[in-house]
Amino acid sequence: MMQRSPLITGNKTLKDITDDIAAPIESMPGNGWVGLFLGAKALFVFYIITIGIVVSTGMGLLGVNHPNAWGTMIITFVFWIGIGHAGTLISAILFLFRQKWRTSVARTAEAMTVFAVMTAGLFPLMHTGRPWLDYWLFPYPNQRGPLWVNFRSPLLWDVFAVSTYATVSMVFWYIGMVPDFATIRDRAKNKIRQTVYGILSLGWRGTARDWSHYEIVYMLLAGLSTPLVLSVHTIVSFDFAVSNLPGWHTTIFPPYFVAGAIFSGFGMVVTLMTLVRIGFPTFKDYITINHMEVMNKIIMTTGLMVGYAYASEFFIAWYSGNIYERFVFVNRAFGDYGWSYWIMVCCNVLSPQIFWFKRFRRSIPVMFVVSIFVNIGMWFERFVITVTSLHADFLPSSWGSYAWSRYDSFILLGSFGMFLTLFLLYLRLFPAISIAEIKPMLHVGKEGGHQ
Amino acid sequence: MSEIQIENREESNALEKSEKAERYWLSLDQWNNDDEFQKIAEQEFLSSPLREDAENGSQESGWARREFLKLMGASLAMTSAGCLRRPVQKIVPYNKQPEEVTFGVSNNYSSVYFDGSEGIGLLVKTREGRPIKIEGNEKHPLNKGGTSVRAQAHLLSLYDPERLRGPRQKSGASAKWEEIDDAVVKQLGKGGVVVMTGSLASPSTRALVTDFCQGFGAKHIVWEPLSYEEIREGQKASYAAPFSPDQTGVPFYRFDKAKVIVSVDADFLGTWLAPTVFTRQFSSARKNIEKMNRLVAFDSYYSLTGANADIRMRIKPSQQLDVVMGLAHEIVLKQGKSHFSGDSRVKAALEPFANVSIKLGMEPALFSQIAKDLIENKGESLVVAGGLPTMTEKAVELQVAVNFLNSVLENDGKTIEFKSAFAGLNGSMKSVLELIESMNTGSVKTIVIHKTNPIYNLPESLGFKEALKKVEMVLYTGDRVDETGRQADYVIPDNHSLETWGDIETAGGYYSLQQPTIRPLYDTRSFQLSLMTWAFMSKKGSSRLTTPETYYDYLRAFWKDEVLPKVAKGKDFEDFWETALQEGYVEVPRANSAPRVFKAESLSSVTPWSQSGYEVVLYPTVALGDGALANVSWLQELPDPVTKICWDNYVSLSLATAEKLKVKEGSLMELNMSGQTLTLPAHIHPGLHDEVLAIPVGYGRTAAGKIANNVGVNSFNLGRKKGASVVFSGMKAELKNTGKDYQLANPQGHHVLGDSKTAGRKIVVEATLAEYLKDKAANNHNHKIWSIWEGHQYNGNKWGMSIDLNACTGCNSCVVACQSENNIPVVGKKYVIQGREMHWLRIDRYFVGGPAQAEAVFQPILCQHCDNAPCETVCPVLATVHSSEGLNDMVYNRCVGTRYCSNNCPYKVRRFNWFNFNKDIEKPLHLALNPDVTVRMRGVMEKCSFCVHRIKEVKNTARLEGRNLKTDEVKVACQSSCSANAIAFGDLNNPDSEVAKAFKDDPRSYALLEEFHAAPSVRYQTKIRNNHQEKRYNDAHKKGGHA
Repeated sequence: MMQRSPLITGNKTLKDITDDIAAPIESMPGNGWVGLFLGAKALFVFYIITIGIVVSTGMGLLGVNHPNAWGTMIITFVFWIGIGHAGTLISAILFLFRQKWRTSVARTAEAMTVFAVMTAGLFPLMHTGRPWLDYWLFPYPNQRGPLWVNFRSPLLWDVFAVSTYATVSMVFWYIGMVPDFATIRDRAKNKIRQTVYGILSLGWRGTARDWSHYEIVYMLLAGLSTPLVLSVHTIVSFDFAVSNLPGWHTTIFPPYFVAGAIFSGFGMVVTLMTLVRIGFPTFKDYITINHMEVMNKIIMTTGLMVGYAYASEFFIAWYSGNIYERFVFVNRAFGDYGWSYWIMVCCNVLSPQIFWFKRFRRSIPVMFVVSIFVNIGMWFERFVITVTSLHADFLPSSWGSYAWSRYDSFILLGSFGMFLTLFLLYLRLFPAISIAEIKPMLHVGKEGGHQ
Repeated sequence: MSEIQIENREESNALEKSEKAERYWLSLDQWNNDDEFQKIAEQEFLSSPLREDAENGSQESGWARREFLKLMGASLAMTSAGCLRRPVQKIVPYNKQPEEVTFGVSNNYSSVYFDGSEGIGLLVKTREGRPIKIEGNEKHPLNKGGTSVRAQAHLLSLYDPERLRGPRQKSGASAKWEEIDDAVVKQLGKGGVVVMTGSLASPSTRALVTDFCQGFGAKHIVWEPLSYEEIREGQKASYAAPFSPDQTGVPFYRFDKAKVIVSVDADFLGTWLAPTVFTRQFSSARKNIEKMNRLVAFDSYYSLTGANADIRMRIKPSQQLDVVMGLAHEIVLKQGKSHFSGDSRVKAALEPFANVSIKLGMEPALFSQIAKDLIENKGESLVVAGGLPTMTEKAVELQVAVNFLNSVLENDGKTIEFKSAFAGLNGSMKSVLELIESMNTGSVKTIVIHKTNPIYNLPESLGFKEALKKVEMVLYTGDRVDETGRQADYVIPDNHSLETWGDIETAGGYYSLQQPTIRPLYDTRSFQLSLMTWAFMSKKGSSRLTTPETYYDYLRAFWKDEVLPKVAKGKDFEDFWETALQEGYVEVPRANSAPRVFKAESLSSVTPWSQSGYEVVLYPTVALGDGALANVSWLQELPDPVTKICWDNYVSLSLATAEKLKVKEGSLMELNMSGQTLTLPAHIHPGLHDEVLAIPVGYGRTAAGKIANNVGVNSFNLGRKKGASVVFSGMKAELKNTGKDYQLANPQGHHVLGDSKTAGRKIVVEATLAEYLKDKAANNHNHKIWSIWEGHQYNGNKWGMSIDLNACTGCNSCVVACQSENNIPVVGKKYVIQGREMHWLRIDRYFVGGPAQAEAVFQPILCQHCDNAPCETVCPVLATVHSSEGLNDMVYNRCVGTRYCSNNCPYKVRRFNWFNFNKDIEKPLHLALNPDVTVRMRGVMEKCSFCVHRIKEVKNTARLEGRNLKTDEVKVACQSSCSANAIAFGDLNNPDSEVAKAFKDDPRSYALLEEFHAAPSVRYQTKIRNNHQEKRYNDAHKKGGHA
């Protein structure tokens, strides 16, 4: 039998684990965290102001125009939604497949999912011309006569997909945290913490019945979340694939988008985990280099998958014999926006290839840089899909460039402010690793000791 | 003394109150970012009466107080109104309902418009007493319903917020009419009076000015920047007795009778003489394709006529003479097919032009072929040259050569009708030069300037401005303190042409009456009445001038005495007048023109001319013409038909020249012409001669208003005095790249169909006449399309449109018609650059062939109202839905603005309100809005509705009358404005309708992007090129079918 490497290093006792994980919640934040938080918050406030200006003045402040009716908002929406996918994949699918290594990163990855979906979810609402009427996108009984939503529109499917995804992943995340909230509550040395976490822990008492119910609910929610990993980005891809635009109208989009989403999600998990390891050095015992290596393998695999998708799109464009389709793809790589295409290819296909080498797979600086590249590349992938397809379609008379403005940059940057603010708060308020789940992993890799 | 005799205009009082303007809309001025705008921007939110003070300064000090009291009263009354920006709006019904006006029902009045060059019979549509739309008068025998861009857009100049509200003194202070009249009468008594006017196509005004001049011993000087003086001079030189004395000297041309037309820089489809009328004629002669005419254009710039030519050759101005004389040489000497062949004087004149085709760089065989075509169609051909691009130092010689060629071809009296010559086109540069001299000597004491803006339109170097300073009193009748107005002692604003009576002789023998359609908005007085008043007060002039109380009376008397006897002798005048008003025109029976005898000796002045180096060509644009209406935003934002650039002028140069000078699109160039420099951006244009620098005129206004000021540069200044005339073309110039960049607003780039990017796209389908004669569906291949869905069922009407690309000249008239009809906002240069223009109907222009000889094609694109509309399925809130009549309806108030529909539209016809464009309309421009069409707010998608409100209007009428719709009863705005008759609209379920026939029976008919299977309700008909070629395309996308 092969010797497994331990999932938790540092000869921890069960108490050590609880102490280590609860420490960020129970101690005052250091200067590093405060600095980061203030920076992120300032960016977040700036973001809110930018949105305020755009919503009150008009979408024309952004670069969207004729013929590029979708731009930064939609690109960044898909980007953030994609980021979210790794969390659910790790927490639900890997849970069902009994992948024990997931435990160390699941909580944080899930938090990332929830925040990414929150960040993403704002975009489709804001990008409309009249955001104050966005509630018209929901089918609810109304007094406007027979007016109802259009169930044929992929945008409506999107509304359902994203809202379902947001709800389920939030519930899943929260349910998973209930035993840990109870732990914090029980350890609390002041009234406020005791009360707040007491409420959050929903009266958890740690009885066998509690545990039994918890395990069943958790399993069921994992089962519910699993199809969502595939469905959400499939439906997001329908926004493009169901339309008639050359460059969008392709059947490869659903798997391509899902692979890309997992790819970008893992990229973001690696980025965040390397940072968490720096910020909380004790976590290095739980989020070991082995964990990081596994994720890097997934990044490399999904990177190859998106690379295949890129190539396949070109092949199909040629094979279809459709002149519009052919033009769009040639134009994508060699037209006005060719630079964005090659950024995408370099970041998404070439940069992860470095992970063929174990040395680099296990090097924190290397993986940090690659994960940043992956994030950049995946944003550009959505840019390439959206803008290069729109800017030159059927009638050459309507061709035109995207009019990138400073508001586009503000919106893109600001969304990171929102995400990071939430994420930094999470690190200080919620147990960043599942205390309850990690403890059974203590023995993994140490089985040999008993022989 | 009110000259307006119509009573039913009570409501216009309300208009006068609302005229007090707020700010002009931000978007237009933002790009300018000049001081004036900054000032306005600072005051934007000052919603107090003080803001008026700040703006007007001392000029209207009494006004702010009045406004303050008004607002105070209003704010007491409007308790529920929180702020001034959203006042309570009260609807007040008529106290006494005017007889003719019904709420919600439009009235149409026949009228006429003269833009300095052509007169167009119009119908002015008014709603509740205010004009909202201008259309062509279908009954008018010349334009037959077609209108020009400017005739439609001059509606907006009526509501221009910057119009003067009353007379002004030089100091800028307002003046009283009585004071002005007293001062003027006193001054007139000193003698030395000059009346300077633009071309007066109004016969009664001509008579009135003549009466006035006789009374005061004054001199009448006519000047117009586009004067056609060269044509008159040429006619005079070529023929012994070219015209009867009351005629002007610019013959009327019959393009409808010509089988072969050769145009040398005469842009008769765009800007030359009467383009609307000529377009109608030209297109009608192409309707029967088997017998269609052939247009050959020799173009010094890329004119609209060149763009529509079957054969277009690029030349430079110094070659114009070569072309005409070369053709004459071919016919007379080489082919010997004229009675002039034996004439030694002719021979001597023609000999030097033996090998012109080589000099022009064109195939000798093609040149001979053109000559052969001409002579084979003798009596049915037409050679024209003229306009600003031919105003070279050889302008008159060119006309003599053209006259000679037409005489050789025996066209004179047939396709050239000198008996019905254009009236009033008397503009003369010579007389202006004389005027400058006499002003300088001080012999001019008083000058009245009317309908012309010499300070702007005359080259600065002529010194008109300096000379004008020596005149004791300058009176100007302009509607604003513009370039000339600034120099005037009194600006005494004339009524707008929509506010006043008048008459226009659209061409010799065609008289139309101009009716006022609204009471004058401001304290203005017609020019004619001013002259009459001064004559009356001075007790000078004939009794015809001094007796009538108003110009209306004068006009009626004139028509009774002068027009009636010519048109319908012995008829009762009241009946005659009534009919003329209703029909919109009266017509003098046409006299046949017998051919005139060409004076062969006049040819001796025609000697060869050659020049090397860059030559400047100045040309008027379709949108702005001479620049008089430059402050009309519709015109500024109208893409040029050929270059597609708006909001600027530029120097166009060929690709080879650009490469040689290392110029990019938009590089700022410095044009140097004998010491004078002009800096303007470069535009690289296909199909130009490599030594041509083509520059549009009409831009660079400095005092026209917020919209026009400092848009482009004033290229009239490049005009050069040469002898007794001024040249505007063929001047030698140097060009230097300043190295700076400039951004031109071009909603469409250069797209060549059939290059590597666009190969195989079936967008504009063309065929040569040879191909068409063999197969009427030539190059029009169809795709076998099948669907598992049987499609929508249309049981009632099913609306469709058919656009004949063979008739369409791309003149843009429909674009303005659509803009006016559907309240489409103007966005300004900055936003055009960003791709936010709002035109529902655009004309796509593509080039075909190499950059040197590129030919142009035009394709109007509007919402195609697809049966399988891709936009409809993707809208999440059902804001765009399919109607039971096949319309793709846009429900504005349901639209959330996801813009998915635009992405999914293969024709990209949807327009999004990126900002609140309509909210920023400055009063009283909002009065031009069509009440039948909603104004759209920010965040809403919009697009062509097939004028659904017009459909409903006609259907309601039919229902009230208890009948079915008549065939082709509905006329949409673009269709009715089209002078080429290219657009047919109607019910596809009615087999008799024009559009159903075009869809079903015309083999040229095709759906754009048919293979996409959106099943559009708009179809196009292939363009046929009547050139000598056998085949149009060499590529594989041939007729036949594939799935």
